Amino acid sequence: MPLSVDERWDLIDKISKQTVTFGAYKHTLKDAIAELTVKPLTGIPVAIAVIYGFWSFFCDFAGTLFTDGFMVRLFDEHWLPWLQSVFPGGLGNPLYALMVDAGHIENGVLVASDTCFESFGVLTSGLFVPFGVVLWAVVAFYLMFAILEDVGYLPRLAVLVDTVLHKIGLHGYAIVPTFLSLGCNVPGVTAVRPLETRKQRFLMITLLAVFIPCGAQIGIMQDLVPELMGWIFLTLAIGYLGFGFILNKIVPGKSPEIIMDVPPYQMPMWRNIASKLWIRTSRFLLVAVPFVLLGCLIVGLMYLTGAMDWLAAVFGPLLMGWFGVPEETVAPLIAGFLRKDLAVGMIGGLMEQGIMTTFQVFTSVVLLCIYFPCLATFVMMLKEENWKEFLGSIASLVAMVFVYGGLIHLVGIMLGVA
Amino acid sequence: MNEGEEKFGQIYFAVLGAVALAFGAAELIASAGGGFTWGILDSSGAANPLFLSWRAIILLSVGFFYLSSVKDFAEVHQLAKSVMASIMIWIVAGMAIWSRIAGSIPGEETWFNSLDGFLASYAPPYCPEMFLLPFSLVIMYYIFKEGETEK
Repeated sequence: MPLSVDERWDLIDKISKQTVTFGAYKHTLKDAIAELTVKPLTGIPVAIAVIYGFWSFFCDFAGTLFTDGFMVRLFDEHWLPWLQSVFPGGLGNPLYALMVDAGHIENGVLVASDTCFESFGVLTSGLFVPFGVVLWAVVAFYLMFAILEDVGYLPRLAVLVDTVLHKIGLHGYAIVPTFLSLGCNVPGVTAVRPLETRKQRFLMITLLAVFIPCGAQIGIMQDLVPELMGWIFLTLAIGYLGFGFILNKIVPGKSPEIIMDVPPYQMPMWRNIASKLWIRTSRFLLVAVPFVLLGCLIVGLMYLTGAMDWLAAVFGPLLMGWFGVPEETVAPLIAGFLRKDLAVGMIGGLMEQGIMTTFQVFTSVVLLCIYFPCLATFVMMLKEENWKEFLGSIASLVAMVFVYGGLIHLVGIMLGVA
Repeated sequence: MNEGEEKFGQIYFAVLGAVALAFGAAELIASAGGGFTWGILDSSGAANPLFLSWRAIILLSVGFFYLSSVKDFAEVHQLAKSVMASIMIWIVAGMAIWSRIAGSIPGEETWFNSLDGFLASYAPPYCPEMFLLPFSLVIMYYIFKEGETEK
């Protein structure tokens, strides 16, 4: 026989009287520390220190130790010269250009590349980008991410940023997909599912696709332009919050509260961390490597067939006039459809050839971040959104790129650096 | 913790807080002017200038955390502030040590560094957080004492 509401409450009272012990709870040191990390006055400085540790470890592990310490030497001093000496055809041969080294023009003469960033062959840049740079950046990122997750800090960060994220129509939990996207946008887009409404999911996916660079891209940026990283992140953060605020006002729908479990702090379990690290890194490589190799091949073919020169001529005026970047940027922008890290690597090649000023490098890198998600993220967006939302995301994205890209150029002109 | 331990903690962490605050202020000023190296103290930000002002903000916070924990030091919420400040020092100093380890393994011309080159990577000057690191470890004693009380 079903119980009435009153009878149910009576039953609950009886059970709780028998099972729950009531009394004064004395806060432990762990509780007090947990409180400190969620109160804004103390929690924000702690977050600043945690992010410092995260970023510092990332730079030294991926940049100093592996990429600069071993991989650059392995690829530039051994792998590239060896391939240049044994691969049939030589400089100027189409197959050689596609697979090893396209070379570049210096004083009217085609010369061989010195680095794997410049060479742009499938076997040189195509392997250097994922294995020489990106792999270490991704390992460093996911290792730190897994530690923060296991310790129990991430939910506290979510509580801490809740107020700020509510201003852009999101919940504090949105920090999790945002953080996850800093590793790779694909799991970041998947992680928006716990957000309550379609509006929140739409806002989150659009902002992730536009303003959050992935770990691979960050790794390459840190290697190429470490001195500009602060400015690049500041520009992206302003865009994330500014356009988030505008989208929240324009997009109809609700942004309700959600209840989140904040577990107590605990020691990380190393087995857990190792398995998370392995799963995430191997998945990432499975997605990234084929796209990087394909990207090198497509861009190489476009150069060989003259399609890239045609595109540069067509889009050059727009790139120069509106965004203030040279027409050569069209090649990285096309490669960026496949892989953003590959595209930033191409900008590195243009930088080494002295084609761009520092401000143009800055603008190009920011444009690459915001102009379009990579193909894998694009597919994931299609999966997570309906057609209407997907088209809305693309329309917002195009508008944001033109408005923000133009604004950055305008600021550069006003400061006299563009 | 007993009264003597509380009194010692109050004085000790007040001094450490004041020193952290002074270091933080110096790093903040240094970050505006490109940094400085004074004897074995390095605030040049040569390794990564972006980190200098970031570190300065953390050190200033550490100073405030220690100083604000001094009143009623034995109370668990107050003690937690000192613990948190020490953890923040461990993060920053730990990363400074990790940076040296990462830089000391690969060689300039060879794959791996020579023994001399390896050892030279750990020579002074050091950043302020590394000087504060051993002094911040005193908090371990208080964590241990608090753990005993909780039991």
